[in-house]
Amino acid sequence: SFAHIPSTSCMLISVRICRDGGGKPYSESKILLHASTLEPHFTDCISRDQVTFRCWWSPGRLHNLSSPGTLSVFYLKKDSPTSEWKECPEYIHENRECFFDANHTSIWTPYCVQLRGQNITYFNEDDCFTVENIVRPDPPVSLNWTLLNISPSGLSYDVLVNWEPPPSADVSVGWMRIEYEVQYRERNATNWETLEKQPHTQQTIYGLQIGKEYEVHIRSRMQAFVKFGEFSDSIFFEVTEIPSNDSTVPFTLVLTFGIVGVLMVAMLIVISRQQRLMMILLPPVPTPKIKGIDSELLKKGKLEELNFILNGGGGDGLPAYATDFYQEEPWVEFIEVDEEDVEGEDKEDNYNSDTQKLLGLPHRTTEGCSTISYPDDDSGQASSDNTNLPAHDSQMLIASLLPGQPEDNEDTVDTPASETGERPLIQTQIRGPQTWVNTDLYAQVSNVMPSGGVVLSPGQQPKIQDNTSSSESKTQKGEKKNEDKEGIEEQTKNEPRFQMLVVIPEGSEYSAESDAIQTSTPPSSPVPGSGYQTIQPQPMETKPAAMPDTNQSPYILPESPQSQLFAPVADYTVVQELDTHHSLLLNPPPSQSPSLCQPQHPLKAPMPVGYVTPDLLGNLTP
Amino acid sequence: QPGRLAPISPLFVALVCLAFCSRLSRMKAASICTNSQTGCHFLSLANLFDRVIHHSARMHGISNDLHSEFELYFLPSKNRVSRNCHTSTILTPNGKENAQRIAREELTEVILKLLLAWRDPLWHFHQNMARHHKFNNLSSNKSLEMSEMVHELRKGVQKVAEKMQMLGIISNSLGTLGSREALLASDSPEWRLMNDYNLLYCFRRDSNKIQNYLKILKCRIVPEHGC
Repeated sequence: SFAHIPSTSCMLISVRICRDGGGKPYSESKILLHASTLEPHFTDCISRDQVTFRCWWSPGRLHNLSSPGTLSVFYLKKDSPTSEWKECPEYIHENRECFFDANHTSIWTPYCVQLRGQNITYFNEDDCFTVENIVRPDPPVSLNWTLLNISPSGLSYDVLVNWEPPPSADVSVGWMRIEYEVQYRERNATNWETLEKQPHTQQTIYGLQIGKEYEVHIRSRMQAFVKFGEFSDSIFFEVTEIPSNDSTVPFTLVLTFGIVGVLMVAMLIVISRQQRLMMILLPPVPTPKIKGIDSELLKKGKLEELNFILNGGGGDGLPAYATDFYQEEPWVEFIEVDEEDVEGEDKEDNYNSDTQKLLGLPHRTTEGCSTISYPDDDSGQASSDNTNLPAHDSQMLIASLLPGQPEDNEDTVDTPASETGERPLIQTQIRGPQTWVNTDLYAQVSNVMPSGGVVLSPGQQPKIQDNTSSSESKTQKGEKKNEDKEGIEEQTKNEPRFQMLVVIPEGSEYSAESDAIQTSTPPSSPVPGSGYQTIQPQPMETKPAAMPDTNQSPYILPESPQSQLFAPVADYTVVQELDTHHSLLLNPPPSQSPSLCQPQHPLKAPMPVGYVTPDLLGNLTP
Repeated sequence: QPGRLAPISPLFVALVCLAFCSRLSRMKAASICTNSQTGCHFLSLANLFDRVIHHSARMHGISNDLHSEFELYFLPSKNRVSRNCHTSTILTPNGKENAQRIAREELTEVILKLLLAWRDPLWHFHQNMARHHKFNNLSSNKSLEMSEMVHELRKGVQKVAEKMQMLGIISNSLGTLGSREALLASDSPEWRLMNDYNLLYCFRRDSNKIQNYLKILKCRIVPEHGC
């Protein structure tokens, strides 16, 4: 607000508008303006309780007016148009103060005060006010603090500070509504932290640090007004660290050392490579291992070596070096297929019983299109005999290596025939219902195709019954489709099952396909040559009800989008690919009878893949 | 069979009417308390008081803001300040003791008079501000809020007065609320002559009065609920 400039002096005007109630803008501006004038002036007028108020003056320096009595205070209370200037009701000369008691105080009424000397009146427009605007409440009293909580880390804590409203302010009657501003700081800091003004008589301070001493003080002001009162006396508090439990310390130490010790022992064992300890600590992961064949070879796709091995190397059946494999790993157990009795399990002559079955012994009926739970966990286990393998599996495995049909597929090797077109082909190939010609139990792998197929030399032709030829028709597509991996991926999604090559022995109601495990194997390359006998396993439906005929051909036709047409090649079966268990997947035979179970996608070309476990291969003799 | 339904339907209608009418009559009381619970009544009266006091505090805050802004931006010289408010004709207690000594009915009446006296001036003030773009948007919103608040606060205090009358705390002599004084104050052309700064100054003062009076009234009538 502007200051009235006395005409007696020239001076610089500094207009200063203070919004903040932190200082005393009224008096400050007055001091700025009047210090240079050196005239008597009022320094401040304050009310503490909105009932009375006081004004202080200063005599100035120019005139010798410092002695009491030379200056008198007059005030004007503008409560009526006819009001007059009156003298101060009560002087307190020691303080140069004029006190207005309750009788002389009217709220919401404009007052003006002036100083009068002998003949001079010192009056300033600034000295007009209303009482409610000059109220500065007293600070609160009875400051107290309580600890609220300590953080889990034990580093900080919260404190609740509470206080009483100033006794001079009559809040109980509602005459004054006070809001408080709390400030706090560390003991020796210079800056105060200020919290939000609020009207309640308590405040929480968050985030104080343990071990530091804090200082808190509070000031008050009227709600919706500007001027603050004085700060209260400070209170000091400090929270020191709570001694932690001694029991926790050794516990953590023991735990730490224990863990470290165990880790060190484990490391030692691993490093020293003691076989026994290694076996205990890190039991070997069972994987199927073919005796004499390094799985690394297969991984790297070194089929030449594989051919060599499978061909018997130098005729021994196993190459000389093959026996060196796995010698340093005595715990490796090889998967071997053992014969199983019809009634039980004969460990010794498992193979012979299989042969018996293959050669026509009537045995178990079809169980429907159920998938065999392939004993994945068998590989590497201690049992040398394949007692876990169901008999069907072993039979099928062996049977898959039997020579297939020779020549009928030669015409259709290179021509992907349509389904309908293939059917007659299939028809021609079918010799009869479920009659197997006497076949050799063994087939010689005469060649391994670069695409991965193993070509077996053909034996006698099995008679394959034509059931539903839909799946096998696709096998006659002669294109090499090496979409192994894609096919696998596709089909693993659909039917994560194995596909098995099955050769049904003559006359047997071998319902191998019911037990067949199917893999979602891709089509393999066609096998050149003649006389090969790859029976295409067919994807088996898990539902037994899906089988249309129970005594249908035991073929399992692979379920694959593409079919392979194999020129019958003697002695060879194309190794389709390796499955995840390092087993060879052989191509299925070209013409197959549909399986008992309807494939899920009958229109799809079945995957001409046969599945042979590695141990079976080892048992094969050329 | 329509024959059977005929006597039933008026009976049914009558029952429905009874149910609803009883409900309506109960709702007229507009209170969550039953008549027997006096404590509940006083609690709801205290709640009403709290609401109007909070409202008046807010109104005073806004008037204070507007006044400060006006001072800041327009810097009126002291010479132009007449400091004569049109509500000077209304007799108001000017101190704590006076406010405590005055009768409750009178105090309530004073509050209502003040609120009524400011209804029109504030409305015109807001119109003036908005038309002449004297304020920025924020301030013009505040002026609108201020004028609306006066209106709402007056209704609130009337409700409080009614409740007090219902509870027998004050007599029913408040019927003369449209007293001559109030009407004179609002009809007097004085307020039209007031300039904007004066109006804001006067209203700031009066809103503080209203706030104080309401608080004193509450602490006189229902002191146990937070004074």
